[in-house]
Order: sequence, then C-alpha cells, then structure tokens
Amino acid sequence: MSGRARRRCDEREPVVITGLAAVSPLGSTVDTILDRLFAGVSGVREIEIDPRARTDARFAAPVAEIPRPAEIEPEAFARLDRLEQLCLSPVAGALADSGIDRSPGGPRIGLVLGLGAEQLKVWELDFLAAGTAVFESRRDPTIVQRIAARTGLTGPAVTAAAACASSGYALALARAWIDAGWVDACVAGGCDILSPTSIAAFYNLRALSRRADDPTKASRPFDRDRDGFVMGEGGACFVLERRGAAVARGARLRGELAGVGMSSDGVHMVTPSTDPAQAARAIAAALADAGVSPGDVDYVNAHAAGTPVGDVAEAGAIRLACGAAADAIPVSSTKSMTGHLVSGAAAFEALACLGAIERQAVPPTVNLDEPDPACPLLHVPHVARPHRVAVAASNSFGFGGSNLCLVLRAA
Amino acid sequence: MNHQSSSRPVAPAGCRVAGHGLVECRSSALGDLRGRAAPAGAPPIPHRFLRHADEHTVVGLHAVLAAIAAGPPQPDLSRHAVVAAPCQSGRLAAARTLAQLPEGGAVTVSPHVVPQCSLHSVAGAVSVALGMQGPHLGVGGGPDALAEGLLAATTLLLHGDPECTAAWLVATDWDEEPSLDPVGNPQGDPVCRALAVQLVPAGDASDDGSPAHGIGLVVEPSARPASRPRLHDPAGGIVAFARALTICRAGTAPAAWAIDCPWGAIRLVAGSFSERVSQRAREAA
Repeated sequence: MSGRARRRCDEREPVVITGLAAVSPLGSTVDTILDRLFAGVSGVREIEIDPRARTDARFAAPVAEIPRPAEIEPEAFARLDRLEQLCLSPVAGALADSGIDRSPGGPRIGLVLGLGAEQLKVWELDFLAAGTAVFESRRDPTIVQRIAARTGLTGPAVTAAAACASSGYALALARAWIDAGWVDACVAGGCDILSPTSIAAFYNLRALSRRADDPTKASRPFDRDRDGFVMGEGGACFVLERRGAAVARGARLRGELAGVGMSSDGVHMVTPSTDPAQAARAIAAALADAGVSPGDVDYVNAHAAGTPVGDVAEAGAIRLACGAAADAIPVSSTKSMTGHLVSGAAAFEALACLGAIERQAVPPTVNLDEPDPACPLLHVPHVARPHRVAVAASNSFGFGGSNLCLVLRAA
Repeated sequence: MNHQSSSRPVAPAGCRVAGHGLVECRSSALGDLRGRAAPAGAPPIPHRFLRHADEHTVVGLHAVLAAIAAGPPQPDLSRHAVVAAPCQSGRLAAARTLAQLPEGGAVTVSPHVVPQCSLHSVAGAVSVALGMQGPHLGVGGGPDALAEGLLAATTLLLHGDPECTAAWLVATDWDEEPSLDPVGNPQGDPVCRALAVQLVPAGDASDDGSPAHGIGLVVEPSARPASRPRLHDPAGGIVAFARALTICRAGTAPAAWAIDCPWGAIRLVAGSFSERVSQRAREAA
C-alpha cells in the first residue's frame, strides 16, 4: 500500500455505527434527544453568564446534566473540568452501547474527538476559578490522550479541529483509519461547552443573535428574520467498525457512515465564500464516496446556524451540488432547537440523520416562519414530516472556509 | 470475540516527502515576521494577512512559504490539503484576553480570538493565504501534536480527498513553553518555530534524481499496541525531525528518525523508500 489507497465505494467494506451516545441541550439519552428533536422542542433558554464576561447575548442552549460513566467513581468524575466530563461521558457511553470487547488483546480501538478550542476553554475555566494555568510554563496531555488512557483504548488517539466542522472531521479520520486497517474500530465524535469568553468573542464578531424576547424563538435558520446563531453545548460520539466484524459479533447496526466529502474555500478566515463551488464539491464528493446520486438523498441536515450570510451560502452549495434534485430533498436545521454546538455540531447532526433513518421522518426547522427567498430549498418548518429516509446527508462548515459533508444510510 | 485480535499484522502506509521548510523566530522578532512578504520563489500572501494571527500561525505560514521557495515551482496549490499540529497555540491571546477580563469586561474580548487563535487557525490561515482548497485541519494541540499531525496528514493524503495532490504538515511549537507575565507577554525571549513538510502520494512523485525524492514517511501500526500513556518531547521532535530531513536531502546519511507511539511508529526512511514499504507490507501480510 505504498500509494494512494482510498478505495471506491464498491470496493470498500462498509463502515457501520454500532454504538452511540450524546449529551445535549435536549437531553442526555439518545431516545430522549430524538423524541425532542422530532417534537420540535427547543433547548434554548436564558442563562446566567459570569458577570466579568457578560454581553447582551443572554440566550444559549446549555446541557442540564452530564451522565457519569459507570466505570468512573463520582469523586473522580467531579474532579474533571466540564469539558472533559462532556467528552468522557459520550465516549464511555458509545463504547458501552456498542458492547465491543475492550479487553487486552481485543480489537485495536482508536479515538478521534473534534475539539476546536480545548486549551482556550480549559485555561478559561481555570482562570474563572482563580487559577493561573494560562500564565504557567506547563504542558498537560490533551483530553483525548487522557480519555484514551482512562478507557484503555490502544489505537491511535487524535484531537481534530476544523472549527464548527471539527467532529465531522473526527468521523472522517476514524473511517479512514478503519479503511486503512490501522484500527479495528474507532470511537469518534466531539463535544463543546459554553464559556463566557467564547460567547463574548462570537458576540463581538456579530455572529450571535441579538434577539431578547423569547429564547426559544432566537435560533431561526433559513428564516427571513434570522440575525445570527445561538450558542449551545454538547455533542455526540459513535463507535465505528467494519460491517463484517460488527455482524459477526452480533452488534446492533445503527447505520452506515457511507460517504465523506471535504474541501476548503481558501478565501477568508471567517466568512464563507460567496462562490459555492468548494462547499458543493464537498457535498458532491460525499455523495460520490457513498455511491449515491443527488436523487437518492432523502434528507439533508443543513449546517445552517442562522447567520445571514452562511445560510444563503449553504443553500447555494446544496443547489449547485444537487441540481434539480434539490427541489425534492427535504432540508432542515436542527440548530433551530439545539443552538450551535460548535465543535460537537457535526457529530450531533449525524445523530439527527440516524434518527431520521430510524424513525422514517425528517426533523423540523423550528421558528421558520417566513423562509428567506435567498435560501430556496424544500424546507421542513415547525413540525417533523413523515418521510422515507434511507440516505441522509449532513453538512458542516467552519471558520477558515472548512467544508465537510457526511452521508449516512441504513446499515 | 469475532474481531481479529490486536496482534494481527497491519500493513504500513507511506507517502513521500517532497520538501520541507523550518522557520525559527524569537518572540521579539515576531512583529517583523508578521508583516514580512513571502520570499522569492513563493506565492505572494495577502497584504497584512497575519495582523491578527496567533504566533504559531505566523511561523507556520512562513515555514510553508520557505518550503515552497526552496523547491521547484508549484504553479497550482489548489488541490493541496493542510494539517497543522501546533502545541498550545493561542495561549498568549488567551492570557491577554483573560487578563483584561476582570477590569475591561466582555467588550475587551477580541472577535479574532476564535477564528485566529484556535486549534484550526494555523491550518485555516495556510489554506486561505495560499488558496489551498483541499481539506484543512488542526490536530493535537498538546505535547503529542507532532505524532498526531503526521498521522492525520498521512490519513488525509492517502485516504481523504481523492483529488488532493499533496498534503502539508505544519508542526509548530515554542522551544520551551514560556511563562507569561500578568498581562500575557512571554517572559524572556523564547523561540517560536515551525516545520512545514510537503507530503505527496508515494506513487505520484517524479524522480529526477534528487535525493529529496527518495525520502518518505511510513506509518507502521504495531501488531501489539503498548499501554498508554507515554508523552513525547515535541520541541525536540520538530528539531530532530527537521535535522533528519536535512541530512536526507543532502544525501550524506540515511535517515534515523522515528516517533514511537503507543499504537505503533512513524518512521522517516530514505533511498529504498518504496522497497521498505513493500517489504513491510509483505511482512504484515
């Protein structure tokens, strides 16, 4: 295998999802989360922000409770900072859900987590608790390395960062490692937390909604009156493995990660390109990787965070990639309910796609009262729509012009 | 247990090193480097492009420019991917932000902190400045950044975007993680360094007889992964890696460099690169 080794979809053994777990503003069990997503429930509310970093942005979508993994003692879990708790919980949850063998001599299991600003968050948490770590000459192992050690995973462990597409890239790397044979299975996903300075930074960037009436109405992707996104926290993790191995051990197959497409705009550090060509290239590449055509896609979970520029750019990319087929593909943004989970968004939205496949329905975009004519898509406003979903695509875009599309289908 | 055991042999994968560049800059000189134009032989970068950039991004982008300038002309970078592996990037900006917060409040938090000083920022800046439209990704962020970066770059090149013609690994670090004063400035005058390595698929590199074309990186997952954790010395890693690359390119000695990880190893090989990969693949099979 000395050269390029990416195989065509018909030559590659499918990589399936056999374990999943999530922690989110809508709850911390998969069934609860999906129930609320498909019921159009908003997790956005008014939150208390440290007075040292308070802005006019008071709405966010926080996680109410982080489940403690059974294998971690309560005191040990309590000693972890909030970001590590939020990462460890779904990693351990996904491993437990998969039932995969973790004994010595068992399968090589890797770990890739999308964490876009781990150190910034950890330094901030420490500082706000009167710590001085950011000023000190110290280098601590990353959360990914600590979790790999704690959970006894022996495969490669990597932190991936592509801003709001981070956890999607984590899934892409995990699938590639399995394809390459470097691991037998891999835990992949990502999480993020709300932090006062990140809220302030996005607010000062004028990326956040400034609505101050009803928190549940603030996140309005594709709506004509959208004015920015609402920050959220949480994410999701998955266990990926080859289909043959999963079937042989009797694992429950939750879906297939069938396609991955990636590209960069190469234009601007913050705003998406007005030319949708590269974002569309990522979507088209993911469909080709999965061996499907645009007409085979039954649902698109849009990145659409509710920013005036970003939603229009994505609509253009979907239309360019899918052509006339876009007229018949239901599109929704679950960020209307969860807010923007940033590093955890792509993985969480992959979970929403699996939910659409499992429930044969498309989750809604809530607050989509008047669709922006600049976003001409087949929207699913307000309420979920029963729909045959065999193939779902999930878009994620990030600062620096990062574009990623995942294609999921029934296993 | 129906998975094959972890003692199962695993075929290695490799790619060629097409070029590299190393930039080292003292903290006191970063302002000058921030405003410096691209060197002759490298494509121009947008005016004042780095004015809000993190220190790791400044040296990282200039290392890529140095690598391009040192090699043959590359008229089209649009199908290149970027993987950046900084160690604790954004720390100075974070310290300044937090130091101002109690007195100045939220208004003092720069809108540039997230886009310019996060883990993705080095890779994003290289992609934007040079119009690279393959995937770009930040990895690591901690003491294991170089190993994580090499693995991710090899992964993206060999198993990622099939249209990619090259992947850049950009590893950045301070020579020693500096202590910061109460307003976030580094104590002393530490050196910030970056090593940029251009990787191409092994089968795609032309062979014009240059010793550089005989250099490769091989990812060798272990048949028996070790228990975790064991940390690396990333500063020594970058320096040692750059030195080994230079020796290889000069053709004066075979490469002697590797990162041993709990899951396997990443090795620099020279001369008989393809043969080594093939031999290891046969052994694994």
